[in-house]
Amino acid sequence: MENYRIFDSELDRLAHKVIQMCSQVNLQIVDVVYALNTIDSSLAKKVIANDEYINHLDVKIDKLCQKIFALQQPVASDLRYIISALKINNDLERIGDHAVSIAKRIEPLQDYSQMVTELGIDKIGEKTKNLFADVVELVKTHNLDYGDQIIQKAAEIKDECKKISSTVLVEMMQQSEVVVVAANILIIANLFERISGYSTNIEESISFVVNGEIVKHKKHSDNINE
Amino acid sequence: MIVDKIHTENMFLYYSTKMALNNISIKIPEKKVTAFIGPSGCGKSTFLRSLNRMNDLIDGVKIEGKVMIDTINIYDKNIDVVNLRKKVGMVFQKSNPFAKSIFENIAYGPRINGINDKNQLDEIVETALKNAAIWDEVKDRLGDSALGLSGGQQQRLCIARTLAVNPEIVLMDEPASALDPLSTSKIEELIVQLKEQYTIVIVTHNMQQAARISDHTAFFYLGELIEYDKTRTIFTNPNKKQTEDYITGRFG
Repeated sequence: MENYRIFDSELDRLAHKVIQMCSQVNLQIVDVVYALNTIDSSLAKKVIANDEYINHLDVKIDKLCQKIFALQQPVASDLRYIISALKINNDLERIGDHAVSIAKRIEPLQDYSQMVTELGIDKIGEKTKNLFADVVELVKTHNLDYGDQIIQKAAEIKDECKKISSTVLVEMMQQSEVVVVAANILIIANLFERISGYSTNIEESISFVVNGEIVKHKKHSDNINE
Repeated sequence: MIVDKIHTENMFLYYSTKMALNNISIKIPEKKVTAFIGPSGCGKSTFLRSLNRMNDLIDGVKIEGKVMIDTINIYDKNIDVVNLRKKVGMVFQKSNPFAKSIFENIAYGPRINGINDKNQLDEIVETALKNAAIWDEVKDRLGDSALGLSGGQQQRLCIARTLAVNPEIVLMDEPASALDPLSTSKIEELIVQLKEQYTIVIVTHNMQQAARISDHTAFFYLGELIEYDKTRTIFTNPNKKQTEDYITGRFG
């Protein structure tokens, strides 16, 4: 016989908040990628302003987890979910910060839109957007097939970033007048790469919820971490 | 090296025709705390009581299979049950001190076992009370009635009384369920200390208590042993859905 638990409504509330946070961060990524592709400073400013709401959700989720730990003493899958919710929340907040950091670097690119396309930074943006759509689905459904996609896409983004880094360095050596903007692009590429890294953390957290095994530092060491 | 102190194999227990324990096979390690959990009527207390043959006192009880302590099947015909219960002590949910002095409560068992020397008894009483973490609270009033102690103190006195006859195993049937949080916490600390010298098996309805103090946890349901594993595993990643549902409060 299944019991109704007051606890379940708290867990549902937490799950709802985590999905809300994830969707909000997704919007930030979609916007920042569009702002970068079109060098749209006003959209970039909107991304910067929206971060406040993400920070607000971050604190809400932390407090909710704290409350559940203190009052419900969760165990087993409940415990794993709440531990993971805290970690995922943290990762999402960092991803949100990175989206803001990218947004802040869009205005200086005003006169260099051609360079953005030539170096392929727009493609990395699109790939990151694509990868994060999988993160949203994974967080919503806990279907680990999305996790496999995330790992694969994160590895591709990492490779692309490496390629861009070498190209940008060559550009910087050859044309001293583009050093500042090229450095900016290099940083943006690295920020996208970090977003994909945090996304794999989220994949590990969901995998922990589902399977109960800690996979970080083990599973993807070959293709993600060096 | 971990040694198995208790070992049952294909054990069945019937109350007349009703099967109360269904094919229990378990190995309980020496000098560890093993907790039995499960909803009321799942067989956990019945199983605990069968480990020192307390069920012999109930009419119509029939036991099949092996219940080994060390290398001896305790249901063999030539087993001396009094000696068995000396080796396998028991503490109950409700503290049950004798209406005698604190000293006499502890000295009773050793006296029955033939120890009458005053100095020796003094030493046994002091050691037992110290091991049960109650010595400091009662050392100045050993002659007072045990019934004047608080509920928590009475329970520790009963633990001391069990320890006084030098058991190897201590069975505890919800030893802290009638106590306030502070007394409960003292009993829990005591249990953790006692495992250095004794093998402890505890039945508890308090899941957090099982999680806090036990090394291994066995989950019983409808007379069956559903899952038995390290406590850490049971409470973070249990293998069976029934265990998960029970410890998370989804049924039971």
